[in-house]
Amino acid sequence: MFVSNKFLSKRRGKGVGQGKVSQCLAMFFSVLASVFIVAAAQAEVPNAKPPTGTHSGEDVPQPIEFPHDIHADINGINCMYCHTYARRSKVAGIPPTSKCMGCHSIIATDKPRIKKLTEYWENNETILWNKVHDVPDFVHFTHEKHLQRFVFKNEGMDVANVSEVCAFCHGDVKKMTVAKKVKPLNMGFCVRCHEANDGPSDCWKCHK
Amino acid sequence: MSLKNILENWSHYRRAHEEGGHHEYEHMWGMAIDLNKCTGCNACSVACYAENNLPTVGKDRMRKGQGLHWLRMERYWDEPDLGGDDKEYQERGGSFLPMMCQHCNAATCEPVCPVAATYHTPDGLNAQVYNRCIGSRYCSNNCPYRLRYFNFYSYYEESWPEPLNMQLNPDLSVRDKGVMEKCTFCIQRIRTGKDAAQREGREVKDGDVVTACAQTCPTEAIVFGDLLDKDAQVTKLWKAQEVELGRAKQDKSDGELRGYRVLEGLNTDPCVMYMDRVREA
Repeated sequence: MFVSNKFLSKRRGKGVGQGKVSQCLAMFFSVLASVFIVAAAQAEVPNAKPPTGTHSGEDVPQPIEFPHDIHADINGINCMYCHTYARRSKVAGIPPTSKCMGCHSIIATDKPRIKKLTEYWENNETILWNKVHDVPDFVHFTHEKHLQRFVFKNEGMDVANVSEVCAFCHGDVKKMTVAKKVKPLNMGFCVRCHEANDGPSDCWKCHK
Repeated sequence: MSLKNILENWSHYRRAHEEGGHHEYEHMWGMAIDLNKCTGCNACSVACYAENNLPTVGKDRMRKGQGLHWLRMERYWDEPDLGGDDKEYQERGGSFLPMMCQHCNAATCEPVCPVAATYHTPDGLNAQVYNRCIGSRYCSNNCPYRLRYFNFYSYYEESWPEPLNMQLNPDLSVRDKGVMEKCTFCIQRIRTGKDAAQREGREVKDGDVVTACAQTCPTEAIVFGDLLDKDAQVTKLWKAQEVELGRAKQDKSDGELRGYRVLEGLNTDPCVMYMDRVREA
């Protein structure tokens, strides 16, 4: 939508295609585009225009049905408490079982999912979580840079609200049980956000 | 390069050389290779294979010129008078020339690409985007150094049968058949070095980025660094040899100056300087 808006404004500036119909069309599209832009600008994260676009991915089966809503929404645990590497690494990281047991050796030990977890822990078994958000192998993506830009070096942004930044690409995980892919995570999705937020536009920044 | 760049900045990227170079370069990665130190041991080439997921194609395909060696060791028997009786293989050995993509500032491969898969980055690198490449091979035909390599086949299963696929470097893709590839000056290492510098809140300094070949060279013949950094070792070497970017002919009247760039008379303005091998007559 940013592209189409730019095309139209350029064309009008040069005086090409000044026919009445095309003018009306141009007006219509620019109004439409500006509505989108205003809607995007209303996000709660300061100094950021989050990307739009949705995609409903398939449910990914997990060994334990981990409820993100209970942890992040009801109990208000920060995303980065478990996904520790997000702020300093390429990958956000899946927490080790020991991190789960840090709380769950005491909390809610009678629940069936926690019993399953305890079983894994006592048998010294790794929980083989399945990957939900997977970008292709030819893409270089780093969580660190994005979190630094939108959270830590973003004036007016509270680290406690980090989930709003995560939601740019991961959707509202707070309302999900098992995480589900709800954003397209394709090149157009990335580039629209990069253009709106002055991200790098060099091919080799992301393609490897 | 996004759509925005193609529409708005294309001429800017293209014009760069005629106007004396890209004026907003963040870095200008370059190399200095001392042929006096080079023993032709091929360790750099091996390191490159390991670092950049290069497949081994086998003897037959190598003979057909389908090898994928981003860094190849060229061997010359160019001084037959110095040897003994055998005129073909002289007694005192051949001369070696490690050749990798020269990252020309006026790269001949770039303007001929029909899909803009190869272009110049603000780092002074000649980039190759595999996803965009359609395999027309124009770039390879236009490269005077023949340093671009084409994937005629898919080598994944042949070259890295399980469990060898575990050795692949995850920081760059494994190219499939139909795309052109070439030395990237270890872009994945440059990326890592720049990220680390940014994390520590400082500028990239000399030594942050070392390519696989430079790191492996046992005699330290290969020196890699940023030519815009005045304190970098590579800049000092270029300066000592009085070689500079944008000048197509070196003054050879002073016998002490050994620096040259391969085929620089073609005005490709490469970023790799070689220092001539000196031998006793």
